[in-house]
Amino acid sequence: MQPMPNFPPPDESMKSREPGDDDGGLSAGTEQSDLELVRRAQRNERGAFDLLVLKYQHKVVKLVARLLRDPTEAEDVAQEAFVKAYRALGSFRGDSAFYTWLYRIAVNTARNTIASRQRRPLDYEAELSESEQNNVAARLKHDDTPEASALSEEIRVTVNEAIEQLPEDLRTAIVLREVEGLSYEEIAEAMDCPVGTVRSRIFRAREAIDRALQPLLD
Amino acid sequence: MTDQIREQLSALLDGELPKDEMGLLVRRLEKDATLRRTFGTYALIGETLRAPGGRIARTDFAARVGAAIDAAEGIAPAAQAAVAGSDIRPQAGQGAPASGATRGRRVAFWQRPMVRTALAASAAVVAVVLFRPGTTPVVAELEPQPASAVALVNSSPAPAQSQRLASYMVAHSQYSTPLVRRNVLTSLLAADPGITRVSYEMGDAP
Repeated sequence: MQPMPNFPPPDESMKSREPGDDDGGLSAGTEQSDLELVRRAQRNERGAFDLLVLKYQHKVVKLVARLLRDPTEAEDVAQEAFVKAYRALGSFRGDSAFYTWLYRIAVNTARNTIASRQRRPLDYEAELSESEQNNVAARLKHDDTPEASALSEEIRVTVNEAIEQLPEDLRTAIVLREVEGLSYEEIAEAMDCPVGTVRSRIFRAREAIDRALQPLLD
Repeated sequence: MTDQIREQLSALLDGELPKDEMGLLVRRLEKDATLRRTFGTYALIGETLRAPGGRIARTDFAARVGAAIDAAEGIAPAAQAAVAGSDIRPQAGQGAPASGATRGRRVAFWQRPMVRTALAASAAVVAVVLFRPGTTPVVAELEPQPASAVALVNSSPAPAQSQRLASYMVAHSQYSTPLVRRNVLTSLLAADPGITRVSYEMGDAP
């Protein structure tokens, strides 16, 4: 199966990762943490898989919505991708990052949905034709309903406002972590404080933003 | 939920939680919906900061995934039980999650009729063999009954038995294919004209 056009495999982007890249903050620590959660899920600890779903749900839904013409279908297809991932979890050996593996499943699930819509026999190994590949490129520009866009914009504004209101040390810590993708140790070095303090500052920043978001999410 | 636990969640999201603290946190999360919601919001904050815009998952998305997994997991044992003959009816509470066309739901509806059809066809074939005229007496036990109710079946079924068999066919006709139904009923009609009346009544039924 060839990689999706206009969508580089995440492995490559991660290898050349620069601060701020959209890779979900996949530091070595995150990959190890994900791997530990996968191992637990493989031992039938469902809570561990729930954590992985909660962690990557927005990323996968966003990805699938970009690939499908009908964004309202994105959640169903993303859900299917997570179910497939859960059922195939036994075969995950940790050769790649969990999100890389999940990314491939999500892209293939979206591709199959697109292919089945076009009334072709369902072939899980089917390659997209040139015209379909062009369609995918076009879909990248039309991936949202007005409602979803409005909520997403409200969330973006609320998060940014909440960050602006944070004390300087909390704001710096959360930005270095979430935007720049630094590890706690790197942030501690940059801010000249203990790692425990970094952990506490990031937590308190998240709590403040969480409180600001609740009216939108309830 | 204490601040300490929430701080652990925050560290877990960043891959900075010590491994030995993870087990207890995972177990807590399994039981605490508020904790799951908090973790989801933390993830949303990061996603919004890194890649604003685009569609985001609804707040119940993870719960729906969990329900779909439960539904998919529950299907296989149910199907096996049906094959074993313990119950050919759909299991209560085996429905798919509240919304979303999930793979689990598709499998459920795909598997159940197949299992039921196979069982019904098998039962029909056994019934034809058991009640075929001119064979040696065999013990018929179509459904669990007291020992006294188990009867020897002669080569020519008694009218009551024929009617019972016909009723059985009607009751299970929805689980078998038209071809199997037609073959079995044709065999019965050929074996005993007395059954004709019952068969026509069945045919009139909606």
